[in-house]
Amino acid sequence: MACAIVPLDEQQVTEPSAVGKDRTLPALHPDRKEERCFVPYRPPPEDGSPAQVEEFLEHAKFITEDLEWLLALPHDKFWCQVVFDETLQKCLDSYLCHASRGLDPAGLPCSPAVADVQRCIHRAVFMTFLRMATHKESKENFLTPTVFGEIIYENFLFDIPKILDLCVLFGKGNTQLLHKMIGNIFTQQPGYYSDLDETVPSVLQVFDTILDKCGLQCEGAGAMEPLKLNANGRPTAMTMSQQDLVDLVLYLCDSTTTIHAFLDIYPPACSTFQSHGFLSRLGSFYESAVPDMEKAVRKRNFTDKGLKEDLWKRMCHSCKRMVEVAHLLLQQSCLQPILEGGENIQTFAEELLQHFTSFLPEKRFLSDYDEQFPIAEDISLLQQALPLIDETRTSYLLQGVQSAWDSVGRRRPQGHLQSK
Amino acid sequence: MSPPRLTGALRSFSNVSKQEDPGGQVYDLKSKRLKRQELFARQGLTWQKVVQFCTQHRDKAQQQTTSQELKNVLAAARQIVGAEHGQETIESAAVFLFETFHNKDHVGTEETRAIKQMPMALLATSSVASLFGRNIAFSYDSYTLDPLDLPWEASLEDEVDLDF
Repeated sequence: MACAIVPLDEQQVTEPSAVGKDRTLPALHPDRKEERCFVPYRPPPEDGSPAQVEEFLEHAKFITEDLEWLLALPHDKFWCQVVFDETLQKCLDSYLCHASRGLDPAGLPCSPAVADVQRCIHRAVFMTFLRMATHKESKENFLTPTVFGEIIYENFLFDIPKILDLCVLFGKGNTQLLHKMIGNIFTQQPGYYSDLDETVPSVLQVFDTILDKCGLQCEGAGAMEPLKLNANGRPTAMTMSQQDLVDLVLYLCDSTTTIHAFLDIYPPACSTFQSHGFLSRLGSFYESAVPDMEKAVRKRNFTDKGLKEDLWKRMCHSCKRMVEVAHLLLQQSCLQPILEGGENIQTFAEELLQHFTSFLPEKRFLSDYDEQFPIAEDISLLQQALPLIDETRTSYLLQGVQSAWDSVGRRRPQGHLQSK
Repeated sequence: MSPPRLTGALRSFSNVSKQEDPGGQVYDLKSKRLKRQELFARQGLTWQKVVQFCTQHRDKAQQQTTSQELKNVLAAARQIVGAEHGQETIESAAVFLFETFHNKDHVGTEETRAIKQMPMALLATSSVASLFGRNIAFSYDSYTLDPLDLPWEASLEDEVDLDF
């Protein structure tokens, strides 16, 4: 074993070589990795024959055994394995890609043996990522923080899609642990902020793709381009194939849940999203896509009634998550700094009012937002923090909120503050 | 097949993930079985090997008795090291008992001394190989869809939709 008190990345070890002679090499060295040969994860067979289930169980048992072996390794051996064993990285990545999320369409109930082994893999994968996100395991076992940052980044032990997967797969009940893990990853390797910055346009592209598939003009890239000559003949949410509609709703549901899980677990990422104007793009996407997709789910004939119900639930779930994402972004960028007080409170108040004002044309989005997070309460907070705030402006805003409710033909829930 | 996912799109269209190496080796079940057999052969005697050997080299009539005897050895090991220790430690203790009494027809002073010293030696071994995260509280909760009332059951019939 490597010697203690020195960081692992500076340790040397003396081991017998293949020819029997002792040799000294860095504690983190590819030759110290074991040939374990991890297998990639495969989800359980849907409606599988007993033989297929048996094969799945054997396959899954290999993964749990190997991960438990990995977790039982001493610190130096663990890091040699995670850095130099590509089969391990493929195994972990395959789990993140293919493991069933709680939101995935429910398949047939699986046997207790399958459920058991799935739970074992789920826990072992999380513990492996937790250990990989920890640069200091104990007083004796640690890596130099900057070297840790380089190792995880250069070897892609973590990347932005993996971090998002971790949030959506494990975040519901392990928020605090994940917050610490992601916080440590971003702190020790600020390169992840640049990667996140590079990823947000791709997230926005997902919204544009959904609008495009629904035959809706999108405000981003689409608005800048001339309309294609055959644009009028393109499928819409009402006319596309049933499978396409199902896929679109599933995609929206997964995307909104994933973004929400990430921002909820790691709020410091909100500022990167905001630097791309995420909030206004989200509002306009909601306004364009939600009514059309909802209408398609309500009006189209589905042979399977259960499918229609499932899609409706997914639409409602997606709407709720989008509104919550909007609130998280406002909370981080404006509301929290206002509550904390400080010098720039006027600037944050102005920013908040500008955001609310920009929501006014998005009537469906505004009324749904106001239903979950009453805007009048935030205005009241502003009035307490800044007694000299322009009352004409706040009244105009609150009237706009009321008008949004009226125009979507819904009544405001009891208990909401009424506009002045 | 997995449903469409945001992270799938990000892996394909953003530049922040490792590009898949098409030449990289992926182990399937068959090659993994072979690899595992190699590992199995390289390890010393394990409880799994004892069980496998005893069940494979007995005819069906004797298998039930053998299986019961193995269970007795495992139960004795559990009693000696204490049930609070993990399965791994208990199985190591069972192997120790098996080796100690292999080809012996009575319990002598040598065997008694070996058994008395066994727990300390085993606990020392098992603490080295303790599983990371054993004491970390882990939740299996996952995000799910909220139960909802379905709007068309109550109001769809009443809705007037002028959709030209």
